[in-house]
Amino acid sequence: MPAVAAITRPAISLEHVTLVYGEDMAALDDVSLSVAPGEWVCVLGANGSGKSTLASVICGLLAPDAGTVELVGEHVLDEGDADLSAYRRARREIGLVFQNPDDQIITTVVAEDVAFGPENLGVPPEEIGARVARELHRVALETYADMDPTRLSGGQKQRVAIAGALAMERRVLVLDEPGALLDVRGRRSIMDVMRRIHVAGTTLVHITHFMDEALAADRVIVMDRGRIAVEGTPREVFSHVGELRGLSLEAPFAARLSAALRHHGVSVPLTCDEDELRHSLARACASEAHAAHASVPCACAPSDEPPAVICEHVSYSYSDDARGHAALSDVTFSVPAGSTCAIIGQTGSGKSTLLRLVCALEVPDGGRIVIDGTPTGKRRDRRRLHGVVGFVMQHPERQLFAETVIEDVSYGPRNMGLSPNEITRRAARALDLVGISGKADASPFELSGGQRRLCAIAGVLAMEPRILVLDEPTAGLDPRGRAELRRILSEVNGTGTTVIEVTHSMEDAAVCSEVIVLDQSRLLMQGTPAQVFSPGHEELLKTGGLGLPAPLRFALALERDGMAPLDNPLNEDELIAAITTRATTFGSSGAVV
Amino acid sequence: MALRITIGQYYHADSPVHRLDPRAKLACALALMVTVFFIVTPLQLALGLSCAAALVVVARLPLRNVLASVRPLVVVLVILGVFNLFYVHTGTIVLTLGPVAITDEAIWWAVCYPLRLSAAILYGAIILLTTTQIQLADAFDAALAPITHLGGPGHELAMVFSLMLRFIPTLADEASAIIDAQTARGGGMGEGSFAHRVRSIGPMLVALLGSAMRHADGVARALDARCYEGSVGRSHWHPLRFRTMDAVAVMLTGSYLIVLFLLA
Repeated sequence: MPAVAAITRPAISLEHVTLVYGEDMAALDDVSLSVAPGEWVCVLGANGSGKSTLASVICGLLAPDAGTVELVGEHVLDEGDADLSAYRRARREIGLVFQNPDDQIITTVVAEDVAFGPENLGVPPEEIGARVARELHRVALETYADMDPTRLSGGQKQRVAIAGALAMERRVLVLDEPGALLDVRGRRSIMDVMRRIHVAGTTLVHITHFMDEALAADRVIVMDRGRIAVEGTPREVFSHVGELRGLSLEAPFAARLSAALRHHGVSVPLTCDEDELRHSLARACASEAHAAHASVPCACAPSDEPPAVICEHVSYSYSDDARGHAALSDVTFSVPAGSTCAIIGQTGSGKSTLLRLVCALEVPDGGRIVIDGTPTGKRRDRRRLHGVVGFVMQHPERQLFAETVIEDVSYGPRNMGLSPNEITRRAARALDLVGISGKADASPFELSGGQRRLCAIAGVLAMEPRILVLDEPTAGLDPRGRAELRRILSEVNGTGTTVIEVTHSMEDAAVCSEVIVLDQSRLLMQGTPAQVFSPGHEELLKTGGLGLPAPLRFALALERDGMAPLDNPLNEDELIAAITTRATTFGSSGAVV
Repeated sequence: MALRITIGQYYHADSPVHRLDPRAKLACALALMVTVFFIVTPLQLALGLSCAAALVVVARLPLRNVLASVRPLVVVLVILGVFNLFYVHTGTIVLTLGPVAITDEAIWWAVCYPLRLSAAILYGAIILLTTTQIQLADAFDAALAPITHLGGPGHELAMVFSLMLRFIPTLADEASAIIDAQTARGGGMGEGSFAHRVRSIGPMLVALLGSAMRHADGVARALDARCYEGSVGRSHWHPLRFRTMDAVAVMLTGSYLIVLFLLA
């Protein structure tokens, strides 16, 4: 495709584009950028770096204040002058798929939704039918044509949205964080579809938080405070590991690992390709046998306290489920007090239902749940338990309602009937803990996305729960936001609070002290991360739509390539330490020869 | 507290009712629903109910889905029946319970009112279950054509209406999530005294309004991105066509109405 690009005009061309929100907030600050037809460009950046604004400008939904914009050959903006009819023509050639799948689906039948765009373009009926069939096939949803989209998973809904955009036969497709709200399997399916579209010649502009996804692109652009900070091929961009960290981004796994290994004196090339790194490591260390066996340390000392949560043969089904499926069946486990516990499982495995039961919002149909020594069966006990279990739901920032941050945070303590002094103390302490004390008197709606989430979490922490339950607390956050949240949670856990968390990230689960795996409403496994993420469970986890944490997966691949056992590292530090030890052995024996 | 709404959700099946032109279907259904309230005799009631039941069968709808849309209103129906039982005093007394006298007419109305109302609800459910929301929008569009001809936003009103139908289940899900979150923080409508529940409506509505606004923003962006510009220049994948079967449906509805009024 680059050969074609050389002769044709760019698909997208931005020159010195500036866009200002409100008074003085420059969302885009003198951005110049050109995308060739058929190119796949990935835009990275922290929350608030201007990458979503850039997406809106590129797909012609937002006209910048200054600069020149050319979209698919249309001069839509010349030195700040917008040509609205050119914008309309350009929009017919540029598709957009964004974060929230629910808002993008206009109709109640999958095929009708794909047809909606072509209908708007005035495409004749026979042609629409052909396009709908073709695009549903391309996103592998042809068997879902007559379904109600609200019954599909998030990943499937996003594929419907992509098919809807493709059915309009656009030359450019802009994807604004399409995987931000999806699980691992959903994200993978979106990436597969994108590869297919790229091969078919569509120009792709992909905005994402996930660095690993950027590896598939031809070119990567990193945004920072409205400007382009770094630009180049994925390989070039991710070699700036330190610089990326400064932009609160995180290089992909292989790039981080190779940089760290080089730092420890292991001679590997700086790469963001896992296979390449593995091959060069295997060559370096293959012949060496390694005898030492570190024993796996027990993560937590057995405590005398009763477990924080006990679930005994718990089952639950929604009464109106037309298919009569149980949401949970015969689930038994317990969570030790003071531990950190991860609940993993793919969408629809029953995780959210389980959390509602553990938070005493609902009682199980069968079996029983005991929280902090109190069974959840009685209404009065459940009310008391709401002061014991704190529940941070998915996207808690959507539930803010008060006029000021401090008022919202005080809502819980006030409902507990505490004294005004105690309410103030707790609210202040919670805000301090999440680090937004300075915003106490601001309206929650003035905060940035990340701060809104912290505010919502502070509202739960202010109740000083003994057990904190979180449903995907890091979903949609950038690496800095995720790190910040990890810090808060470990601080909360440090004061003796049990932390239970539903997560899509195997790496996050691997640093907890307990892991619970759900699959199709049943308990698949429970144990320490070392027990659950053992090499023998790889296939089992994969069938449940899960996987092993990246460091362990990489270590096992290395072992298959002939490297000596690496003692199943569960996090990057362990993996780096293990490889460095082997490599040192290699170095010394090499000296002998 | 799970507010799961099943009303207004399309059920896909291949049936004559599904294939009807939505304009004809909506007109017939409206006629059937309105005339339900003219039912006063047992024979009429039998006719009305069997007509509704026949439609459910012809539309190949699973009984489960049909009943799900009636279930939330059962309480209302029961209250309606009891109300009639005690407040109708005409007719001959058949039973005296202390100060309360129950007449034969009261018993009849206690049966007739809830049943004929359930027939109306059934017709409504059949329409929503067998018609996609795009078809409904097209039918409303046709009904609002006079407004469009006078230069008013008839088409746009129809689109807004159909988007509203589309978002009822989404907003209901979000309302229940908000109630959950507030209940977990010791507030919420799920529990507590009556006064407590009333007080908690405010925070719930504010959060729900915020979420509705967010969806409105998202939908506006999606409509723009997919070049929706009103009815001008828009084509239809399945253009509406008034066919023989639609004429048959209208005629059948007409004959039903005639029989219904003859039985009065």
